[in-house]
Amino acid sequence: MENKDLSEEINEKIENIRNRVLSREISLLDVELVPLFESLKESLTIYNINRYSRSYDNAFQLLSQKFEELKGLLNFLDNKEKFVEFLKFNPSDDEIFELFNGCWRETLNFDVLSLKFLELSEEKLCRDKRAPFSIESIDNTFVKGSFLLEVPTKRFTEKMMSFFDEIKAKLPCSYDEIFEYEHDQLKIYEKFVYLLHLLQINKIKYQKETKYLYL
Amino acid sequence: MNEISVLMYLLSKKSNIFQIGASEDEILKALNFKDKNKSIYFQNLLNQFSKYIEPLGLQIRFNPLNSHWYISFDSDTTEIISANPFNGKARLAATLFCTLVCCFNNSGMTQIQKIKELRKKKDIWEDLKELKKRGFIEIDKNLNHVYLTPLIGYLLDLEKLFIKISLELKK
Repeated sequence: MENKDLSEEINEKIENIRNRVLSREISLLDVELVPLFESLKESLTIYNINRYSRSYDNAFQLLSQKFEELKGLLNFLDNKEKFVEFLKFNPSDDEIFELFNGCWRETLNFDVLSLKFLELSEEKLCRDKRAPFSIESIDNTFVKGSFLLEVPTKRFTEKMMSFFDEIKAKLPCSYDEIFEYEHDQLKIYEKFVYLLHLLQINKIKYQKETKYLYL
Repeated sequence: MNEISVLMYLLSKKSNIFQIGASEDEILKALNFKDKNKSIYFQNLLNQFSKYIEPLGLQIRFNPLNSHWYISFDSDTTEIISANPFNGKARLAATLFCTLVCCFNNSGMTQIQKIKELRKKKDIWEDLKELKKRGFIEIDKNLNHVYLTPLIGYLLDLEKLFIKISLELKK
């Protein structure tokens, strides 16, 4: 008897009641709390008092919550009558106005928060991160004989125009969307140079306000 | 983005003049939570969120008239900013009170005639028009009916009002 410790079992019971109330399976007003306090009282000894303080705290929280619900229910039951009863005394407009005083609430309307912005941030946060680039030192090699500079197979203008053909169906769109599926940094850089030239020759235009590229 | 930003957005958004915040279903949908324990998750989430915004003088509240959760300033802050939509308009407050009484006794809707009788005034039409303009009521002219909008559930602490009435009656 001396070492009987039901604190864990009681805590579990309390947690279970709390969860069932939160999931609206039961109302706290229907829960009988007396057996809970009885078992706390009966099993409490000087040997387990340390562990029981938390159980008592949890049980009292439940009890005070039940009192609040009861108070709310009692208020609700005779509120309608109170309103009518009050009006029977023919209160003046000022008296009614005074009654409202201190009962008003101010709501918080945060219209500056935009869901579109939040969604965009989420999308950016969820995008797979690329592995950081590793910088490797280049080995110095000596070239014997003549050295020829590699010449690109196509001309710059041709490449730029083929890039233009590639993206023009996407326009109007944002800068991000142009490079959306391009992961190679060198390719991005190359295409960015084309884009700058296309902007320069007015093939593509840019609107500052919307940050959109258009034809 | 995390749950806090979603909750802040949903609970502080004003869809129209008398629709603020979001319902439990809307919140759970936005958070993509479909588990069978969603009610418990929802309550715990609101509890946690409430602790976050408490130091800012904000509270989470529930409007029983449209089952929407929303954010309001706590009573101390409300007192400082003196939130009273009827400042200097006692007549309008009295008509709203009588409309409230009539509507509460008839599931949120009443006849204009009944408000007139309770208000003991011949003409309350201007008051009703003003209350409609402010978003407290909707008027059905053809049926001579008045409906309460959810706005009063956001702006008025009904429990506090009941206590004040009880104290007045005791006097």
